[in-house]
Amino acid sequence: MKKALSVLLLFMLLGTLVFAQDVVLVLWDIRTESDNSTPAVLDAIARFEADHPGVKIKHEPISNDHYKTRIRTAMSANNEPDIFMSWGSSSLELYVREGKVLDLTPYMTDEWLDRFVPASLAIGMFDGKYYGLPVTSMNTAVIYYRTDIFEKYGLEVPKTYSELLNVVDVLKANNIIPFTLANKTRWTGSMYYVYLVDRIGGPEAFRNALNRTGAFNDEPFIRAGEIIQELVRKGAFPQGVNGMDEDTGQSRALLYADRAAMYLMGTWANGTFPSENPEISAKIDFFPFPAIEGGKGDPKNLIGTPGDNYYSVSAKCAHPELAVKFLQYLTDAQMAKKLVAAGNIPPFTGAEDDIKDARIRKTNELLNQAPHVQLWYDQALPLELAEVHLNTTQALFGLQITPEEAANQMEATAVEVLGK
Amino acid sequence: MKAFIHSRRFVIFLFLLPAAFFCILYLVAPIPISAYYSFFDWRGLNQGRFIGWENWKRLINDRVFWLSVKNNFKLVFFSLITQIPIGLILAALLSSKIKGSRLFKVIFFIPMLISSVAVAFLWRYMYDPYFGLINNFFRLIGLDRFALDWLGDPGLAFYSVVVATCWQYIPLYMIIFMAGITSIPEELYEAAKIDGATSFQTFWRITIPLLWPTIVNAAVLVIVGSLKYFALIFALTGGGPNHASEVMATYMYVKAFTEMRMGYGSTISFSLFMIAFTVSVFFLYITNLRKNSRW
Repeated sequence: MKKALSVLLLFMLLGTLVFAQDVVLVLWDIRTESDNSTPAVLDAIARFEADHPGVKIKHEPISNDHYKTRIRTAMSANNEPDIFMSWGSSSLELYVREGKVLDLTPYMTDEWLDRFVPASLAIGMFDGKYYGLPVTSMNTAVIYYRTDIFEKYGLEVPKTYSELLNVVDVLKANNIIPFTLANKTRWTGSMYYVYLVDRIGGPEAFRNALNRTGAFNDEPFIRAGEIIQELVRKGAFPQGVNGMDEDTGQSRALLYADRAAMYLMGTWANGTFPSENPEISAKIDFFPFPAIEGGKGDPKNLIGTPGDNYYSVSAKCAHPELAVKFLQYLTDAQMAKKLVAAGNIPPFTGAEDDIKDARIRKTNELLNQAPHVQLWYDQALPLELAEVHLNTTQALFGLQITPEEAANQMEATAVEVLGK
Repeated sequence: MKAFIHSRRFVIFLFLLPAAFFCILYLVAPIPISAYYSFFDWRGLNQGRFIGWENWKRLINDRVFWLSVKNNFKLVFFSLITQIPIGLILAALLSSKIKGSRLFKVIFFIPMLISSVAVAFLWRYMYDPYFGLINNFFRLIGLDRFALDWLGDPGLAFYSVVVATCWQYIPLYMIIFMAGITSIPEELYEAAKIDGATSFQTFWRITIPLLWPTIVNAAVLVIVGSLKYFALIFALTGGGPNHASEVMATYMYVKAFTEMRMGYGSTISFSLFMIAFTVSVFFLYITNLRKNSRW
């Protein structure tokens, strides 16, 4: 018995000695096998480990759907990893407010800061301090369209809403669904609403409503709802739009089957089309969301996310300098090259000239020219308000409520969550 | 002491201990704990702030919560009138000596073996308004007006989900009833046959009365299962469109895990527990009353 105990003790001692040599940093993100940015992140890990002997990054990828639940549970149980990923804005703010996230500001040299697209840094900033750095991709939403269908019916790319209505009428008359949309997923329909509010009221409309100098039932919000319902009544969207699921590709199925002509979607679709249907992909181009006559918003404005995934270091990380060092590897020029090779538009400089794909190049130009990029509402709003926004917008598409009711519900919840 | 350690009782206790431990930790303990959390404004991260009856007051005025309660009871009703009778009829048919009953047993049981999420995918594709099996079938036979918007129409979405749920759970009750039928003594059927009873009469006069305790138990399973139902609805409609197919469990999930209002989520889950508990106790009580008066 005594012997066994001493052997055990010896093993434990040896164990601590062995582990003491290796610093292990745990990294959680959504870079699973199927994610196109995974090779770039793995490459950064390999480079970091090669340059820092004795330091290991323990990479634990978790699929997108489960990630949010996992990270929240870990955070509330004080089990958070050393380095973790978020979507910036309200998804990160929650943890920043609880003091769970390391303030990166002291580490941010001018040289490092200069590498980023300024708009992308803003989403990871709170009270003027840096908490999350953009790593994967800049994404916006554009209207994809089937060039062959447009050609067949002699249609031009619409620049204004009235031109768009004309396109809708012509397509409808020829038995083609103008816009494909799968709105069980809700954020898909929300894109229309966000663009419309931005075109009608400019970025101020949303900004003011959020900082409570304006309201969510101001005119642009109601007008956006009215336009959505006008399009629904004209038959611009598929039948059963609120029952269809974006995640299972029910929207793109219509596009590939020549049943629908247009598709408002995030520019990650640039990579989806060629892998799903190379033949149809060659016949797809895009145009920016049209202007609304009399609207205050600049038609060059975009909606989207200027960084997509933000990486942060947790406050309780035992080796913050090393973790921050790793973030530098995640945002360097080599990383940019790898991301471009994966079909992304990195939120930092270093590889613009490497972009080969025509649609991605065009996306990059749009992003560079945009005076303002409005973050998706479901990420810009506090969680509870985001839910109400998604539900009321879905109900607008289903003609279940009037634009005024939707806007008033939003405002009522905003008063509750944000104050008067 | 030695006698005690070797006693049958102690051994039983010892063997039950691990299961009991996990049962208490994961099934029993969370009930009072969620009742406790229902008095807090708690985001899951911070300590939480005691707010007394605020969450409960909010719950009483929460339109969506009452809508989800209503949907739950509708689900109980439709599950009772479809799953039990159809399960019973299938069980009776398959227990009689018809050709190929073993093959049908296997086929009918398949839905039960598929995970809920896969069932949801299957039905999602069947309900697809453009490419789905159901709408294309109606169009093929010229009944275009029945080619509906099954999951998107707020008036229909809930019933579409109910159909998928019943499809999934009928086999479970079929198997339970088949097990019950095999335990009915064969002589009773033989006696009935000699007395000249039709097969309908034997079913009605012998199978049903002798199966009654099993039917009551199955009904309790249906009721409790429908009240706390989550998986298929969450995967098929997510409670939408705009809460049209919301049930208590999906609403609890959204509040607790999407909006991170753990305190309010606990309030919903504890009221779900109270409702399911009350209803099943009440149901068992009245069925017992009937049993005592009849037999």
